[in-house]
Amino acid sequence: MSPAAGPEVVLEGVGKRFGTITALRDVSLRAAPGEAVAVTGRSGSGKSTLLALIGGLDQPDAGRILIDGRAVWTERHDARTRRELVGFVFQRHLLLETLSARANVEVPLIGAGMNHRARRRRALELLADVGLAERAEHVPAALSGGERQRVAVARALANEPRLLLADEPTGALDTATSETVLDLIFQLRDQRGMTLVIVSYDEAVSVRADRTISLLDGALATAPA
Amino acid sequence: MLNIVITNLWRRPARTVFTAAGIAVGVAMVVALLAFTRGLQKTAAGFVHLGGSGLGVFQANVSEPTTSLLPASLVGRLQKLPLLTRATPLLLVVEAIKAEPAAIVFGAEPSGFFTKSLVMVEGAQAPGGARAALVGDRLAAQLHLRAGGLVTIKGRSYPIAGIYHSGIYFEDAGAVLPLSVAQQLTGHPGEETDVVVDLAAGVRASSAGTAIERAVPGTRVITDPEQALRVGANATLISQAILVIVVIALIVGGLSVANTMAMSVMERRSELGLLSTVGWSPARIAVLIFGEGVGVSMVGAAGGLLLGVVGGRLLVGALGVSAYVSPAITAWGLGRGLLIGVAIGMLGGIYPAWRVTRMTPLRALAGT
Ligand SMILES: Nc1ncnc2c1ncn2[C@@H]1O[C@H](COP(=O)(O)OP(=O)(O)O)[C@@H](O)[C@H]1O
Ligand SMILES: [Mg+2]
Repeated sequence: MSPAAGPEVVLEGVGKRFGTITALRDVSLRAAPGEAVAVTGRSGSGKSTLLALIGGLDQPDAGRILIDGRAVWTERHDARTRRELVGFVFQRHLLLETLSARANVEVPLIGAGMNHRARRRRALELLADVGLAERAEHVPAALSGGERQRVAVARALANEPRLLLADEPTGALDTATSETVLDLIFQLRDQRGMTLVIVSYDEAVSVRADRTISLLDGALATAPA
Repeated sequence: MLNIVITNLWRRPARTVFTAAGIAVGVAMVVALLAFTRGLQKTAAGFVHLGGSGLGVFQANVSEPTTSLLPASLVGRLQKLPLLTRATPLLLVVEAIKAEPAAIVFGAEPSGFFTKSLVMVEGAQAPGGARAALVGDRLAAQLHLRAGGLVTIKGRSYPIAGIYHSGIYFEDAGAVLPLSVAQQLTGHPGEETDVVVDLAAGVRASSAGTAIERAVPGTRVITDPEQALRVGANATLISQAILVIVVIALIVGGLSVANTMAMSVMERRSELGLLSTVGWSPARIAVLIFGEGVGVSMVGAAGGLLLGVVGGRLLVGALGVSAYVSPAITAWGLGRGLLIGVAIGMLGGIYPAWRVTRMTPLRALAGT
C-alpha cells in the first residue's frame, strides 16, 4: 500500500429523506484508511444516496459524516472537499460530449485552477494510466462504452483524490468490459492507497473488496465490522 | 475554461445562433436609432447655422421652428446689441415646390449676409429689385433646373438667376427668393420666420443667446442642434419614441437571452452537476454560464452592428425622411450598441447562473 493512504471515513447515525421517502435511516459505519468497502442492496435501498452524502453532493438530514475527522458539508455544497479529497465514478460516464477525452480529464484540474500546460500533461499521463493514450483527442461519441468509463475513471483521479467513490461503475457495461474497468479501479486503488467505497451488484466486487455492507430500505442490513 | 465556453457555443450552433439573433436584433435597433437621431441632429445643426450664422432667433413657444413668425422691426433691434456683428431676416416657406415637398424656400434680403454667402456655381445673383430665384445645386440636380430656366414656387413661375452651393444641406436642397417676394407670396408682408445672426469675436453662442432672449422678450434663440430638436414638437416626439423603442429592445432582448440561457442551463443540469461534483466552485460554474452568455452576446452584437448600419438606412427610407436625415454612424454609436449587446447577455445570464448555483450537485446530477 502506498504511503499516501486514504482517509478514514466515519458515518454517525446518518439519515436522509426526500419529501416523504426515507432514503437513509440511522446509518453508522466506519471505513478504515485505505479500506475498500463494497455496498450492495436492492434498487432503491439508498446506495447512491449514501455515496452522494459521503462525497458532499447533498446534505444529510440527521447525523454527520467525518472524513479524517473533518465534517463533510461544512460549507455550501462543499466543493472544496470534493476537489481536494474525493473522486467520483458513476454508472453514467457523464463526460462532456463537446470535449475530447483529454479535455474531459482536464475539467477537474480547471476547477482546481491548474495552468494550461500542467493540466494537459497531467491529463495525458492519466489517460495513459487507464490505457487510453492513443484516444486522448477523441470525443466521447467516438469511444466505446468501456473506453468512456475509463476516461471517467481518469477524470476521477485527476485531482489525486484520497477517497474514491464509485456508484455502479460497471452497471452499463457488458461482462467482459466490466472486468477490465473493475481491474483498473482496484489496481489504481492499490497503487495509490485510496480508500474506496464502491456500489455494485457484481459478485466480483465483493470478492475484491476488504468488506461488503448491504443496505435494506435505507438501513444497514449487516452490522458494521 | 475559455476552451469549454467556445466548444459549448461552437458545437451547439442552433442554440448559439438563435440566442445571438435575439441579441443582434436588439443591438441593431439601438445602432440604427442612434444613427438616426445623430442624423437628425446633424440636420438640425444645418438648420441652426443657416447662412453660416452663429445662431438663429425664432419666435418663442412655437411647435416647430418653421412656423415661427417675427416682426420686421426685430432686425433693427438686434443690430443694436453689441454682441452681434451681422443680422439678417429669413422667411422660411415650406412645401412650396410641388415636385419636391421637402425643399424649403428661403425668403432672404438680397443684400443680407445669407444671400451673399451663397457661392454661385452657375449664373449670377440677380441685381436688386429683380423677382428672380436662386436654386440650390441639390434641388437643381433633382429637378433638372438650370440658370435661365423657370422654377414654380407656390404655383407661380420665377426665373432662375443662378444655381448656388453653400454646403449646408437645407440650403442646397432648397431655393432662395428675395425676402419681399416671399412675403408677398405667403401673405406675410413685414414678417419673417427668424433672424440669423453672426456673433462678435470671442462671444459664446450660449451667453449671446441668453442676452438676446432677455433683450427681446418673446424670442427663442437656437444655438445648438439639440436645442433645435427640442424646440420642434415633432422632433421631441421622435426622440421620445426612440427612447421607448431602445428600452423595449433592451427588455425584449434581455428576456429572450435569459430565457434561452435558462433553458440551456436546465437542459445541462447534469453537466453542470458534474462540474460541481469534480469540485468546481459555484462561483466558477456561474462564471462559465456567464462566459457563455457574454460569448453569445458578442456574436450577436457583431451581427447586430452590421444589421443596424443597414437598418438605419432602411428606417430613414421607411419614414420617408431621407430628404432631411442621412443616418450618421459614429464610433460611439457602434460602441454603445456593443455595450448594450454585452449587457443584454450578462443580464440574461445572471438568473440562470444564480439558479444553477443554488441547486445541490446531487439534484443537478439527477437532472430533476
Ligand atoms: N433526488 C431525489 N428525490 C427524490 N427521491 C429520491 C432522490 N434520490 C433518491 N430518491 C429516493 O431515495 C431512495 C433511495 O434512492 P437511491 O439512493 O438512488 O437508491 P439506490 O442507489 O440504492 O438504487 C429511492 O426510493 C429513491 O426513489
Ligand atoms: Mg443507485
